[in-house]
Amino acid sequence: MRTLTTFLTIMRISKISFAGLSLVLFCLLLMPFRLQAEEAREYIAIRKQGSGRISIALDRTSAKGGKEIEWARSLDGTIRSGLDFTGLFNLMQAPVNMKNAQTGALNFGSLNSVGAEIYTGGSLIKVGNMTRLDMEVYDAMSGKQLLKKQYTGPETQLRSMGLQFCADLVELLTGKKCLLFNSKIVFVSTRSGFKEIYECDFDGQNLMQLTNSRTITLTPALSQDGRYLAWTDYAGGRPDLYIRNLQTKSTVALGKPGVSIDPSWRNGTNEVATTLSFEGDQEIYLVRPNGTISRRLTFSRGIDVSPSFSPDGARMAFVSQRSGMPQVFVQDVQGGAARRLTFSGSYNTQPSWSPAGDKIAYSSLQKNGEINIFVINADGSGLLQLTRGAKDNESPSWSPDGNMIVFMSNRQGRKKLFVMNADGTNQRSLLQIDGEQQQPSWSTLK
Amino acid sequence: MKHTLPGIIGAAMIVLAGCSSKSAVSTGDQTGAAGAGSTTTTTTAPVSGPVLGDIFFDFDSSALNTESQEQLKQNATWMQNNASRSVTIEGHCDERGTDEYNIALGERRANSAKEYLQTLGISASRLSTVSYGEERPFDPSHNEEAWAKNRRDHFVNK
Repeated sequence: MRTLTTFLTIMRISKISFAGLSLVLFCLLLMPFRLQAEEAREYIAIRKQGSGRISIALDRTSAKGGKEIEWARSLDGTIRSGLDFTGLFNLMQAPVNMKNAQTGALNFGSLNSVGAEIYTGGSLIKVGNMTRLDMEVYDAMSGKQLLKKQYTGPETQLRSMGLQFCADLVELLTGKKCLLFNSKIVFVSTRSGFKEIYECDFDGQNLMQLTNSRTITLTPALSQDGRYLAWTDYAGGRPDLYIRNLQTKSTVALGKPGVSIDPSWRNGTNEVATTLSFEGDQEIYLVRPNGTISRRLTFSRGIDVSPSFSPDGARMAFVSQRSGMPQVFVQDVQGGAARRLTFSGSYNTQPSWSPAGDKIAYSSLQKNGEINIFVINADGSGLLQLTRGAKDNESPSWSPDGNMIVFMSNRQGRKKLFVMNADGTNQRSLLQIDGEQQQPSWSTLK
Repeated sequence: MKHTLPGIIGAAMIVLAGCSSKSAVSTGDQTGAAGAGSTTTTTTAPVSGPVLGDIFFDFDSSALNTESQEQLKQNATWMQNNASRSVTIEGHCDERGTDEYNIALGERRANSAKEYLQTLGISASRLSTVSYGEERPFDPSHNEEAWAKNRRDHFVNK
C-alpha cells in the first residue's frame, strides 16, 4: 500500500517537473525524493476548515563555504519573494532556538509558540560543478514531515531551483498545480525611446527586449505553448499583424491593407485572432502562424476588436460598437449570435477571459473620467469592481492560475504595470524600469 | 531579415510624420477663416505651412461635422490645384478610451475624410489612410482642450 502511494507520488512529482525547467527536471529524475502524500492530504483537509494565509516559518538554508553561503542567501531571497508573491502565505523567520545545536532535531514547540503552521528549511552543497539543494517541509503542529525533496543544477539555475521548490510547496499546501513560477509577462515599454515589446518573469525579473522596430509596437500576445509571439507593428508604416516563431526566430507580417489590431491566441489551437479591415469594415479574423487568414469570425458593421477566448477555445469575448458605444460581447467561435455581456457603463473594452473559464475581466471608462477594471461572470452575473480612485487602470490579464491579474495603471503619474489578487486586493507595482509600461499579457510557458 | 525594409520605411515615416505634425496643426484655428488655406495653394514654391488643415471630431465619433466638411472642401481644392500630389490621412484619437479600440476609431476617422474627399472628386488613388489611435497626440496634456485637438484627422502631402 505504502509502495503504491509512493509510486503515485513519484508520478505526480514527475508531472510537476515537466512544467519546470528542463535542466532541473533532468537532474530531479536522477535524484531521490520523497513526498508524504497522506500527511499532505490530511493537512489540506484541515486547512480547508480554516481560512486566511498559511503561516510559514522559513529557515535559512544552511551552507558551508563562502560561495555556498552566498548562494544560499540568494536562494533564500528567491524562495521568500516567490512565496510572498502568491499572497497565500504569512512568512516568518524561523525562531533561533528552533534547531537542537547538537542533533539538528527540530523544536516544534518553539514553532508553535510563534504561530507557525509550516516549517521549511534545507541545505545547499556543491557537488562537482553542480549545486544540490535539499529541502524539507514539516507540519509544525503535528511535527510530521510533508515533503523532502532534492533539487540539483548548476549555480546559474539557483533561481529556477528555488522557484521549483516554491511551486512544489504551493501545490503541497493548496492541492493545486502551481503554474505561476514558470509564467512570463509580455508588455510594451517606452524604455528605449520607442514602444517596443519586452518580456519578464511573473515577478518582473529577467527583463528582455523582444522587438527593435524603432516605430510603434503594441499589444503582444504569447501563444499558449509559448512558441509564437504575435503583436501589432507599425514597421511597415501602418498597424500590421506580426507573428514570430520564437524557436526559429523567423517573423512574418500579414501584409493586408488597412489595420491589424490587438491579436489574441485561440486556446487549444495555434491560430491567432485579430481585427483586420482589408475587406472594408473592421472585423475579427483567425490567422495561422504563417500569416495566412484562416477565417472570419465577426460580421457586423462598426468596430469589432480585442478578442479573448474561453480556456477551451470554443467561445470568444470581444468588444463591439454594434449597440452604439463599445461593449463586451460573447459568441461561439463556430458561429451563432453574439450575446452582449456588459450593460453597466457606456464604454467597456479589453476583455480577458479567466483561465478557469468562469470570469471575464475588462476595463470600463467611467463618468468620472477614470478607467477601472471590473470582473464579471461569463454568464453576465456577479459584476465586481476591482480598482477605484486611482486614475486609469487598463489592460487586465489573468495569471495562469487565475489567482492574480496584471494591469496597467497611471496612478503614480506615468503608465506602469501593477499586479493584484483576483478579488482586487493587494494591488502592488510589478516592476520598476525606465519609461512607461503598458498592455501586459500574462502567459504560461509550458 | 524580413524586418529590414519595412524598418527603414517605418523609420522614414516617423521622421516625416513627426515634422509634419508640428507644422500643420497650427491651423488650430479651424474656425473657418477660409482664405488662409487657399491663398497658399497658388504658390508653386515647396509647400510649407498649413496648406491642408486638420479636421476635428467629437468623442468616440468618426462623423464629420459642418466645420470638418468645410475644411475638407478646402483640402479638396488644394488637391485639385496640386494634381500631382498624394495625401496620407492620419486618424488620431484622444487619450481617453483604450488603446486598441482607438486604433479602430482612428481608422474610421481617416476613412470618413477619405470618403468625403472622394465625393468631392478626389481620386482614391491619391488618398491613403493610417490610424495612429492615441499613439501620436498633437498636445500631450491631459485636459479637454488637449483632447479636442487630438481627436483629429491630419493630412500629410507627399
